Amino acid sequence: MEVIKNFPDSELVANIRSGQKMNESIKAIYRAYYDSLSWYVINNSGSRQDAEDIFQEVVVAFIDLVQKNKFRGESTVKTFLFSLNRYSWLNELKRRNRALVREEKYEMGQDRLEMDAGAMIADREGKEEIVKLVSQLGETCRKILLLFYYENLSMKEILDNLHYENEQVVRNKKYKCLKQLEQLLDANPALKQTLKNLLNG
Amino acid sequence: MSEKLVQYLDGALSEAEKNTVEHQLASDSLLKQEYENLLLVKESVRQYGLKEKVSGIHELMMEELSAPVKKINPAKKFIRYSISVAAGILLLAIGYIGYNFFTLTSEKVFSSGYQSFTLSTLRDGTSSESAIEKAYREKNYPLVLQLHDSNYIKNQKNEFLSGMAALELKDNSKAITYFNNVISINKLETPAVLSDESEYYLALAYLRNEDYDLALEMMKTIRNNPNQLYRNKITNMLIQQVKMLKWR
Repeated sequence: MEVIKNFPDSELVANIRSGQKMNESIKAIYRAYYDSLSWYVINNSGSRQDAEDIFQEVVVAFIDLVQKNKFRGESTVKTFLFSLNRYSWLNELKRRNRALVREEKYEMGQDRLEMDAGAMIADREGKEEIVKLVSQLGETCRKILLLFYYENLSMKEILDNLHYENEQVVRNKKYKCLKQLEQLLDANPALKQTLKNLLNG
Repeated sequence: MSEKLVQYLDGALSEAEKNTVEHQLASDSLLKQEYENLLLVKESVRQYGLKEKVSGIHELMMEELSAPVKKINPAKKFIRYSISVAAGILLLAIGYIGYNFFTLTSEKVFSSGYQSFTLSTLRDGTSSESAIEKAYREKNYPLVLQLHDSNYIKNQKNEFLSGMAALELKDNSKAITYFNNVISINKLETPAVLSDESEYYLALAYLRNEDYDLALEMMKTIRNNPNQLYRNKITNMLIQQVKMLKWR
């Protein structure tokens, strides 16, 4: 049976920053905050599915910000996640142009933290486009690039995973995949801008 | 250059090669543009990987967080139910014992075993009734004790009736003395008169006087004597109650 572990803020942030115990850390975030954050969405015209989608988006954004050292611990993880959640959901509602949300309420609800969060989080559609872009690669290419650039595995470790002849073959394959993705991105200037925003905050 | 640039991106160059590339990047805007594109490509992979990871865990967590309460199979249900019932009974028993333990008094236990002694059982139809007997029959207990002290013939009957009168008047000390007198006389004279009655009522007198050890000892004597008339009155419950009073 898996031990349900709750991390203190400092440990959670340190784990995410270093990429250690990522699965445990993400699970801890879900266990600690999913109920209350989804409650906010559901009680503000959202469906259960909306709450799930927004929460996923919030977790991705939070990890991204921590790994880029843009979460400096000026607020607690809880407050920060609430702000991200609130901002993401109100932004989504605004996008959907729902009459249920009064614009003035939204404007009044924006505090400094939310404004900061807004500047840090990329738009939802942009992120979906990124997923679509990378999905256009073949499975092998996706795997090699993910193992190298996301999981930070060495060429030798990737070789063990994918059973190529030698490291050089993997290196060549990785180079080709990178170029392929570069070409796909070149054809999408708007997405380039989204990525620039994500990269530079 | 592209390949070298990718190696630079991956941090796979030597210090010297790295310096060369950095120098070129500073002076070649096209190369710099190419490098920035590579950074965006790398970022897209990072974003994709992160999204995939969270998405995978999301599915698991949705199952965990919305997991319905597992159905208990009938056998387990029965065991749980039985344990609950047993625990309930145990609690009730503990409550009952606790209640009895804290509300038990020597007076209550005494009353449960005490029965007024009726004189008719003493009459044999031949002897004349003494003043003490008469006073006892009339339930004039103070007069019984007064006669005992003034116009006194020390025999088992007078000692026993005086003991009973003292019990009726809740004078435990006197009752203990008089019942002990009967037992002492019976040790010297035969046949023994009112021996069983004296032992039983002496045990009760000790009990109400809170001399629990003496009461228990007398009760044991009665229980161990198969010919004792009052043997069946010394129940396990009575002994337990006296022990409880002693422990408190």
